Amino acid sequence: MSELKVGIISCSGEECLGGTISRLATRKVLEELKLVATVTLCLPLYLAGGVEERDFAKVFPTISVDGCDKLCAKRSTEKYSGKINGFIDVSKIIGNETALNTKVIRNKDLTDEHLQMVDQVASEIVKTISNISPDSYSGKTFGGCGCGS
Amino acid sequence: MYKKVKVVPCSGIGKVFGLMAREAVLKTVLELCPEKSETVCLAYIVTGDIEVKEKIEGSNCITVDGCPKMCAAKNVSIAGGLVIEKLRVIDTVKEHKGKKFGSPTQLDADGEVVISEIAAKIAKKINELN
Repeated sequence: MSELKVGIISCSGEECLGGTISRLATRKVLEELKLVATVTLCLPLYLAGGVEERDFAKVFPTISVDGCDKLCAKRSTEKYSGKINGFIDVSKIIGNETALNTKVIRNKDLTDEHLQMVDQVASEIVKTISNISPDSYSGKTFGGCGCGS
Repeated sequence: MYKKVKVVPCSGIGKVFGLMAREAVLKTVLELCPEKSETVCLAYIVTGDIEVKEKIEGSNCITVDGCPKMCAAKNVSIAGGLVIEKLRVIDTVKEHKGKKFGSPTQLDADGEVVISEIAAKIAKKINELN
């Protein structure tokens, strides 16, 4: 049976807490939750014209994780690689006001409450991945991402 | 009116250097130079939305990249930002050979030391402008 690979593209937005949560939840899924072979796509490289990243998102199911309702990662992925297979708006999960907090952004400032939010978003990512049909797998010839991740 | 310097990291998610770029920038804009600098989401810059275009175009920008692909510097330039300094995490990391900096998720103590040094470099540049 072919292995199902899924790409996760996080906004990692630097201006607000939602970006930090999106990044940490994406990392958590990658490191801890071995549901399927997940690959994080480096958004800045993707946006700078990274061919491997864009090709990956064209051939493998890909979901976006955005910290706020601007949905920058979703919009960029769709612009360069076509329709995505699912998206998560962190602000819908943790609340808009919390997501747009511009004071608490650094990892070292996160509280237990914030880490629970990371878990919550990670669960949503897993749920979204679970809803992807294995039939959407088509990336047999893909060689890997440009940044080596 | 004085326009804050925009400091933009790559925040690359695949390696610790992306996190180091991100944390160094956040330390600068939140702790060292909050009155003179601010960050702007790189993913937002690239959308080309009018609001962010107005913020970046013609503004003094400092970029911090985690890998040699220089994605933050490239994207900020494309968006019309005046990139006055392009910092690379790797240049400061080279001065700390043999150290462990952490993971793309969490920095170790040595990682914190390096990001403090990078933040100091960014702050120095910002203060030179004012």
